[in-house]
Amino acid sequence: MLPYPSWLNPGDNAWQLTAATLVGLMSLPGIAILYGGLVQRKWAVNTMLMAFSGFSLVLLAWVLWVYKMGFGSPLKLGPGILGAFVGIPGAVIGHLGEQGQAHIPLLDGAMPKFRFPQATLVYFQFVFAAITPLLFLGSVVGRVNFRVWLLFVPLWSTLAYSVNAFLLWGGGWWAQQGALDYSGGYVIHLAAGTTGFTAAAVIGPRLARDRARATPNNLLLVAAGAGILWLGWNGFNGGDPYFSGADAVAAVLNTNLATATALLGWLVLDLFAGPQRKPTFLGAINGMISGLVAITPAAGYVNGLGAILIGLIATVFVWLSWNKLAKLSLFKRVDDALGVFHTHGVAGLTGGLLVGLFADPHMIVYLGQGKTAGFSAAGLFYGNPKQLAVQAGAALTVIVWDALITFLILRFLGLFLKLRMPDELLETGDLAVHDEEGYPTEALVSSGAAGIPAETPAADREPAADHGDRPAGPA
Amino acid sequence: VSLLLITAIVQPARLEAVTEALAALGAPGVTVTRLLGHSLDELSVEIYRGRQVTSSLLPRVRLDVVVPAEDAADLIHAIRRAAQPDPGDARVWTAPVDQLVRVRTGERGIDAL
Repeated sequence: MLPYPSWLNPGDNAWQLTAATLVGLMSLPGIAILYGGLVQRKWAVNTMLMAFSGFSLVLLAWVLWVYKMGFGSPLKLGPGILGAFVGIPGAVIGHLGEQGQAHIPLLDGAMPKFRFPQATLVYFQFVFAAITPLLFLGSVVGRVNFRVWLLFVPLWSTLAYSVNAFLLWGGGWWAQQGALDYSGGYVIHLAAGTTGFTAAAVIGPRLARDRARATPNNLLLVAAGAGILWLGWNGFNGGDPYFSGADAVAAVLNTNLATATALLGWLVLDLFAGPQRKPTFLGAINGMISGLVAITPAAGYVNGLGAILIGLIATVFVWLSWNKLAKLSLFKRVDDALGVFHTHGVAGLTGGLLVGLFADPHMIVYLGQGKTAGFSAAGLFYGNPKQLAVQAGAALTVIVWDALITFLILRFLGLFLKLRMPDELLETGDLAVHDEEGYPTEALVSSGAAGIPAETPAADREPAADHGDRPAGPA
Repeated sequence: VSLLLITAIVQPARLEAVTEALAALGAPGVTVTRLLGHSLDELSVEIYRGRQVTSSLLPRVRLDVVVPAEDAADLIHAIRRAAQPDPGDARVWTAPVDQLVRVRTGERGIDAL
């Protein structure tokens, strides 16, 4: 007997599954506790539950129809970009779908043959698809109707994420034009920033009182979540060559270089130009995320110096966006609760455009062999100005498409459901929506069901403002 | 013997000094409560992610101790000394105690101290 077929390479397969798991950890618990700690105390449970349920929803949609829309055969919708816009939907839950050799039809000949099974590729790409809604969750926390969230996530994955992924990674039209997105600066982060901002505008703001007092509830959990994000990013960018070779390692080191530079850059900006001239922890975390996001589209295409420069430029741009652009009236009107527009949208766009400048043709992604050329990319500073134009075009496509789809899905759901929770639920938060709270106080609750008749459905009760009247367990 | 309730509201940072001073004068058992004092003169300012949040509610601690009336003057003096420095809103006051009963034994008055 043999453990695996001859096309399978255990080193590549092991790294790919490890990288996928690292990226999964960025969502659970990474984003769940980062956002769970950043929101007001009364929204910790709601935020974490949206993260866990969003992750689950994307997985089912992914294996049943969305994966093939991102990485399958093209759906011929028309000429030009329409012929390579999205893939034909299909399931990957059969034995061949899981154990057969991974294969992206439009990338045949453009990259080496995969050395792991399709289940590895499906799961690796799933964790990217899953973290994207969790990122834009940060824009709509503290007011979005939970039922709307449960419907919006699979619809958005189907209509928006599939297109982003197909255009840039599935061999679609922008990939054919040479657009570069190493690990999702556009597919994930620009998409999350665009979607979050649009959704925040359509759904409406939090309570004015909550916006004015948006105090985080646990900075230690924020530290844990942010640390998992940083180190998890080794899988995010290190997994995207699909082979555990030299470019994977370079991508990991470049990711860390850009991130450290961006974190320190934000710290220095806060120290010398911030409102209070004091270094802040949450500012440093914003810098860290800006660096991680900006290096994502570039990680294995640039050299170490390019990575440091990308981290530095991104942190300055996002800092200016966060502290100056956010003062403009449009940004005050739209309640992007955790600032996803800046740390993901602006950072992703900055990184995506900077690949067009810093991509170094000596950074080899795939080696050439015989008459077949290898693969690397050159930016404007290496004599290829066209790359910058292609990067701008791909960015514009993602921005326009994702904003449009987000607007349409929400307007459609708005026909049947209230997109925003009613004010009386918003005033109480977690206890009104889930009958749970982030920091329950044992001493102030009584056991049993005193005060609440067992047959009364939860939805019929008044939102409880007084925690002391609540029973400890289910009625 | 008549009893008095001494109540002091002080800065949280002075709590240890005040309880030590009370213990040194023979009043080891003190009830301590965390509370917020409302002030129109002083604001607490915190910055989260570039956004400023201010509050006119400032953290303070409250100490309650029942003592024989004749000791009160010395104890108030000790509390005042131990609670310095103070921005100005710390207070000490007394109130008469009509009854004092120890729950476990049923002892009353000064025996219950």
